[in-house]
Amino acid sequence: MTSGGLELGARDVSVQFEGLKALSKVTLTVPRGRITGLIGPNGAGKTTLINVLTGFQPVGTGTVDLEGEVLNGIAAHKLRRKGVARTFQSGRLFRDLPVVDNLEVTGVGMGQTRREAITEAERVMTWLGISHLGSTIAGALPYTDERRVAIGRAIMCTPRYLLLDEPAAGMSEHESHDLAVIIRRIAGELGVGVLLIEHNIGLVLELCERIFVLDSGEIIEVGAPAQIRDSDAVRHAYMGTQRDEVIPALAAEMGAAS
Amino acid sequence: MSKRPSVIRQTMLTPIVLIVVLLVMAALSYQFGTRAFNRTAVEMFINIMVVVGLYVFVGNSGLLSFGHISFMCLGAYMTAWLAIPPVMKSITLKGLPAWLLHTQLPMWVATPISGVFAALFALIVGRVIMRLSGIAASIATFGLLGVVNNVYSNWDSVTGGQGSIVGIPPTMNVWIGWLGAAVAIVIAYLYAISRSGLALRATRDESVAASASGIDIVRERLIAFVVSAFIIGIAGALYAHFLSIVNPGAFYLRTTFITLSMLVVGGMYSLSGAVTGVVTISVLIELFRNLEKGISLGALKVALPNGVQEIAIGIITIVILMYLPTGLTRNQEFSWRGWPMLRRLSRPVRTAMKELN
Repeated sequence: MTSGGLELGARDVSVQFEGLKALSKVTLTVPRGRITGLIGPNGAGKTTLINVLTGFQPVGTGTVDLEGEVLNGIAAHKLRRKGVARTFQSGRLFRDLPVVDNLEVTGVGMGQTRREAITEAERVMTWLGISHLGSTIAGALPYTDERRVAIGRAIMCTPRYLLLDEPAAGMSEHESHDLAVIIRRIAGELGVGVLLIEHNIGLVLELCERIFVLDSGEIIEVGAPAQIRDSDAVRHAYMGTQRDEVIPALAAEMGAAS
Repeated sequence: MSKRPSVIRQTMLTPIVLIVVLLVMAALSYQFGTRAFNRTAVEMFINIMVVVGLYVFVGNSGLLSFGHISFMCLGAYMTAWLAIPPVMKSITLKGLPAWLLHTQLPMWVATPISGVFAALFALIVGRVIMRLSGIAASIATFGLLGVVNNVYSNWDSVTGGQGSIVGIPPTMNVWIGWLGAAVAIVIAYLYAISRSGLALRATRDESVAASASGIDIVRERLIAFVVSAFIIGIAGALYAHFLSIVNPGAFYLRTTFITLSMLVVGGMYSLSGAVTGVVTISVLIELFRNLEKGISLGALKVALPNGVQEIAIGIITIVILMYLPTGLTRNQEFSWRGWPMLRRLSRPVRTAMKELN
């Protein structure tokens, strides 16, 4: 991947919290229309990296750029207006507002009138198949619907990039399969560059063309799913051992593939 | 999917109901009330303006402000400067610039100017204060109250210092009071359904997610701050015309806390709550004021000791908030059929939320 193409990228990014190195010299690119994966054990710095890419965390050293434009120090809301959207691990819906207003808020934030924003919200809800939830108060939604609304909120006005922070956490296999379909459509039909952060390795291996593995703030491996699957460094990071043990999700995945 | 009715059509009943109810109150007071009672009614309408103004900022942003009464002070003194006859001003307010010293404007002109003055001031100080969040923002607004009060208490040649400035034409009556309250309600309603109002309520619920939705929190807060300052500035102007004197003590802690408790008792996240809170507390104050004066039971005259009013209001406030922590309206708006129904609806919603947490 060369710089200057249609991609969102972090280049040599380091972030420190009170002497603790959260990220050191991380380089990662998310191309348009593709699904890129980011995996790593807990505390590896995945969420910090998302925060850096979406303007919630100032960059220590290094640069963040959006299709060639350097974005260091830009505020989160301005990044969203430039087309970099995200979801949150904890959902963070506007719990007191109905679902349609949750989406509408993004439209308004992007500069639309309320009428335009409602029209756009209805279009997105139809596209995602959640129109029936429109007038439900967001705080009353079941978990999986909450996730879909959060994604709907993020794809309002079709962003250029979408960063999903553990969208499948707590989902059943069936539900994460539905999620996979949605993520594929977002990249394929809308041409959005997706960065998928997940603990569900099976989902990441199934969806992503290219996977970055983060451990202790450093990228320890980059490559296609097959390469990640066979990587000793990755297995070691996850298991904390050198034992030749196959991660269950991988076994299932390989079984399905063969 | 059926077409959603427009935002205005869904919600416009709330301001209409509020304004009509207040009109009925004004008419009854005008028709049957004594002169003293009418003055109480005017005071209530002015308080409605102040609390509705507070609601615009506090209700939509979720930040508690202790500084909004300084906008009332600004509006009242601006009206004093504009409306007192030049002959009187040249004696008491020698420090005013010549052009101001020689103007005398009628209430209809002085009042909006006073509102704009308060709004401009809010625009300047708000650019700094709105960057803060949570308790820091509230304390900063408290600082603002202190600064404004001190300036107006001590700048003798312009404000008359601690003493009162007299001579503002006493042109207020119940109808103008009602009109002022109606204007405040309409402005607050239009703000609440505006883009900025929706965006600000989103930041109130989840500020991080609001940023991720493209919302500039500082900007939206500043807009609400300026709009609320305008409403409260107008209220201050009408208050000056009502009392015909102004002094800085009237715009300090007591007024700050009584208006805030009116807002909280009514339900601080709803416009209906702001109005309900003022009406309720005003009625209670009037009731206890009369009890303190004494009522005749046959030959016997029973009177409560002085000061019971404040104590009773305090206790009643505590009891109301114990049983209805989100205020009398439970933060809902009055609407055609919605209110009682929404209340029934909100319980399962609340339980569902608890289960999810």
